[in-house]
Amino acid sequence: MTPDTPRVPDAPDGAGDRRSFLTKSSTLFMAGGLAAGYGTFAHVAGRFLYPAGPRATTWMFVADLAHFADGTSMKYRTPDGARVLITRRGTAEADASFKALGSTCPHLGCQVHWEPQQQRFFCPCHNGAFNPEGVAISGPPKEAAQTLPSFPLKVDKGLLYIEVPAPAGEEV
Amino acid sequence: MSAIGTWWKERCPVPAGQLKELTNEPVPNHLRHWWFCLGGTPAYLFFVQIVTGILLAVYYRPGQAEAWQSVREITDEVAFGWFIRSVHKWGATLMIASVILHQMRIYFTGAYRAPRELNWMVGMLILICTLMTGFTGYSLVYEQLSYWGATVGANIMDNVPFVGAFMKNMLLGGEAYNSHTLSRFFILHAAVLPVVMLLLLVVHITLIRLHGVTEFQFPSDANKPSKTFNFFPDHMLTELMIGLVLMIVLSALATILPATMGPQADPLTTPEIIKPEWFFYVVFRWLKLFSGTAAVLSTGFIVFVMFLWPFIDGWIRRRTKASELSVWIGILAVLAIIGLTVWEAAVAH
Amino acid sequence: MTITTKKSIIGVLGFLFLLSLVFVQWHEVTRRAEEAGLTDTLAVIPDSSKACYDCHKQKTPALVDHWRGSTHAEKGVGCVECHQAERGDADGFDHEGAFIATIVTPRDCSRCHVTEGAEFASSHHAAGGNILASLDNRLAEVVEGARAPFNPHAKSPIPVGTLTQVNGMASVQLGCMQCHGSKVALATTDGGTVTVDDLKPGPDGKPTLTAALAKVQKDQHGRPVLHSSAWPNTGIGRLNLDGSKGSCAACHSRHDFSPRRARQPEACGKCHMGPDHPQKEIFEESKHGIAFRDRMSEMNLDAKHWVLGEDYSAAPTCATCHMSGNKKNGGKVTHDPGERISWTLRPPVSIPMDTDEKHAIVKELDPEKRAALVKDSAEAKRRRMQEVCSHCHTPDYVNGFYKQYDDLVILYNEKYAKPGAAIIAALRKENLLTAPEFDEKVEWTWYLLWHHEGRRARHGASMMGPDYTHWHGMFEVAERWYTEMIPEVRELLEKARHSGKTEAADRVAAIVDGIMSRPEHQWAGPQKN
Repeated sequence: MTPDTPRVPDAPDGAGDRRSFLTKSSTLFMAGGLAAGYGTFAHVAGRFLYPAGPRATTWMFVADLAHFADGTSMKYRTPDGARVLITRRGTAEADASFKALGSTCPHLGCQVHWEPQQQRFFCPCHNGAFNPEGVAISGPPKEAAQTLPSFPLKVDKGLLYIEVPAPAGEEV
Repeated sequence: MSAIGTWWKERCPVPAGQLKELTNEPVPNHLRHWWFCLGGTPAYLFFVQIVTGILLAVYYRPGQAEAWQSVREITDEVAFGWFIRSVHKWGATLMIASVILHQMRIYFTGAYRAPRELNWMVGMLILICTLMTGFTGYSLVYEQLSYWGATVGANIMDNVPFVGAFMKNMLLGGEAYNSHTLSRFFILHAAVLPVVMLLLLVVHITLIRLHGVTEFQFPSDANKPSKTFNFFPDHMLTELMIGLVLMIVLSALATILPATMGPQADPLTTPEIIKPEWFFYVVFRWLKLFSGTAAVLSTGFIVFVMFLWPFIDGWIRRRTKASELSVWIGILAVLAIIGLTVWEAAVAH
Repeated sequence: MTITTKKSIIGVLGFLFLLSLVFVQWHEVTRRAEEAGLTDTLAVIPDSSKACYDCHKQKTPALVDHWRGSTHAEKGVGCVECHQAERGDADGFDHEGAFIATIVTPRDCSRCHVTEGAEFASSHHAAGGNILASLDNRLAEVVEGARAPFNPHAKSPIPVGTLTQVNGMASVQLGCMQCHGSKVALATTDGGTVTVDDLKPGPDGKPTLTAALAKVQKDQHGRPVLHSSAWPNTGIGRLNLDGSKGSCAACHSRHDFSPRRARQPEACGKCHMGPDHPQKEIFEESKHGIAFRDRMSEMNLDAKHWVLGEDYSAAPTCATCHMSGNKKNGGKVTHDPGERISWTLRPPVSIPMDTDEKHAIVKELDPEKRAALVKDSAEAKRRRMQEVCSHCHTPDYVNGFYKQYDDLVILYNEKYAKPGAAIIAALRKENLLTAPEFDEKVEWTWYLLWHHEGRRARHGASMMGPDYTHWHGMFEVAERWYTEMIPEVRELLEKARHSGKTEAADRVAAIVDGIMSRPEHQWAGPQKN
């Protein structure tokens, strides 16, 4: 309880340069502390309000590489039912040798298939076509600038795994 | 800057001087002592409850089928859901505790005496609203204990002569806990009671401002050149400090002792041990000491006496010379409250 | 308090508030991680096995449920992934659109579990099937049963009309083979069998000799019929048609392949129990087993990583010491339990586990040649085991124990095993025993002495089971030796003298007397011969 408490509402808080510097820096420090504390709380509140992100994913076993020859493709169904076409495009036992694309056309939901001679995925419903990377190159998907969804793949000890949305609920 | 300032002043012609005066009422020196800030604490916590309550209401779904499930989702699935819920729970606990402490401070310092009797009564109303908010809020979790607690609470109300049945039906939306009950609790908890409390708070604070705070002289303040200090920024900073300390305490409590969840309410099975929230322990124990109507009436009578205490106290002070009587009565009441609460907490039935 | 001080305090409090929220954030992250671990247990039915699943859910619901609870199910390894066969496999067949085999061999498991497969293949476990048709197995094959089927001799309430032959190998098949492993066989149309010997599979597991396959009997669905002599069987040294040895399911029971189960003593106790090697009973008697029984709930048996000193410390199981990873060895698991065993307690006379590159025990006595042959010494093996011990025990304690253990093994070796083996060898050399084993009393006596009682004593000592070391062990060894073995040998020699083989009998008697006049046997009094 120091006696320097201002009596008059508008009295300056201190006198002299040193004092004014102290006052200013303490004000700044206070503002910083308040912003840090309540700002983080606001961030927490924001995270609370923002809808939960995409469902957790899980790595699933697909095949052992010995049974998956270069140039071939295999069909895969994710736990939530999405159809995926996995192709092998290289002999190396590396992630880059494989590509997993959802085989459902983003236009109206037909199943696309791989046309090796054309090097493209083709959707027979409305003649949509996609390049090997899943980017639409003609037809309605091209006009809408759509792509086939892609799934991450990894090779581990000669086994191929795919990252897919984790299954939800009791039964799959 | 000044152009914007001018533009703003034209659009919003508030006389700056008056505003300053209004917000900058000199604060008596005794408020430098921490325990005199107990009135600001529940106000701050009330604000925290509103913020976290709004956040929780975003995900909460009242209704017997979904309530428990949605609380579980908030606790387990939503990002930081457990934290917001725990802060809300602990905020309620601390708010009730600080309201009671505030009231005790007012009581023992005699700050309720003339001409501030009305503000005491407003404060009593706020206390009742706070307890009711706690009661309805706990019921919203719809776990076994909160369900049965609500059922027991409603049936106690039934014992009130003449109006009991009517009140119970109004509260539950029927003869017994039914599909309408939770939405009634939710509306009471999230809309009606907070608004009423907000209005009461406005009245409470306005009355304080009109009367001025009861002033106390402390020996340590005797040599101060002034009897008061500035609300802004001095007292404001004190309140900010209290606010931050409360936030830290709340965060720590929420993390270390997060709000838990019991099993979902099962109207067919009464748990072996029913306990209300801790702030109802005293009432719960009191009601066990007497039966039915007598218990309810005695409780009502005590609340009524508390409500009118400033007048009763004035009457006693005019009649007798024992000015300290109220302090002794207060000590007895506090001991009784603590005793009943501990008793209820210590035994299973 | 000045305004400046207050502001500074507010600043500090603000950052403390931030700090407490960081604590909250950390809590949130750990909670999420835990939750992710909890929700991981959902089964995923891979597309490849959807049809199997739908049908077998009706036909073998419990089997499917076991699989659903497995890590395989979690990772999307379904029925086909393990049961798939390749064209040319001896036991492959078409089944509802998939080409599969009934028996999943270590070769199949090794497609993914490479290291585990290799370690197991070089272990003594994998060689368990070698006992079949060996001299060791004579007891069950000849003495208990009969190698050839024989006719029933008397009428009995059993549907005699259908009973034309007695399977003399029944005891072998249900006894020996269920632990040691069978030689998987396909039934042929002429009543014979086709085994790995007839197929001579190459490195890819496909038969190099396919002629025998022509006679293989097929059922109405076209499946090759597995002969009941060898299947069902999950013996640890099973000789499979693809040339691989063993069965992973011996410890990792199908179809949930539970690591939890393999970590518990009961998994080993299917075989490692009973009169000839009561390891499980000894474990239960020991302080280790007592602690395990008491603190089972703290063993963290479901953990993905189960490393002693990191994931659990409550008590050891068989796996803890002999196979599982521990903190000091960097968590390295081995599927060759021999890697940490320094004595072999199996044969009549125990010898150190100095092994050559083929994991066979080196018996060479010349030090130089021995050193050249030894690839993994008993000392190295012992150090690996001591590494495990040292998670709970001090070096002095561990070394002290090993001294006690060595002392007992050596006592047994020197006082009974080597002399006993020498006497039996001398009897055989002098033709005082007939060629067939187990037709003379002393042969049974000697067998019980080393194979049952002598092992019990040594196993008891190796795993801190005092009762098995003494009462079930050395006590019975001594009783067998003094009250049966030596008197029987002397009686045999007496008979030999009466039948004119005096010189041979005298030579053996000299050996016996030499042994019995040693200081450790002298207490038994003056010689009777």
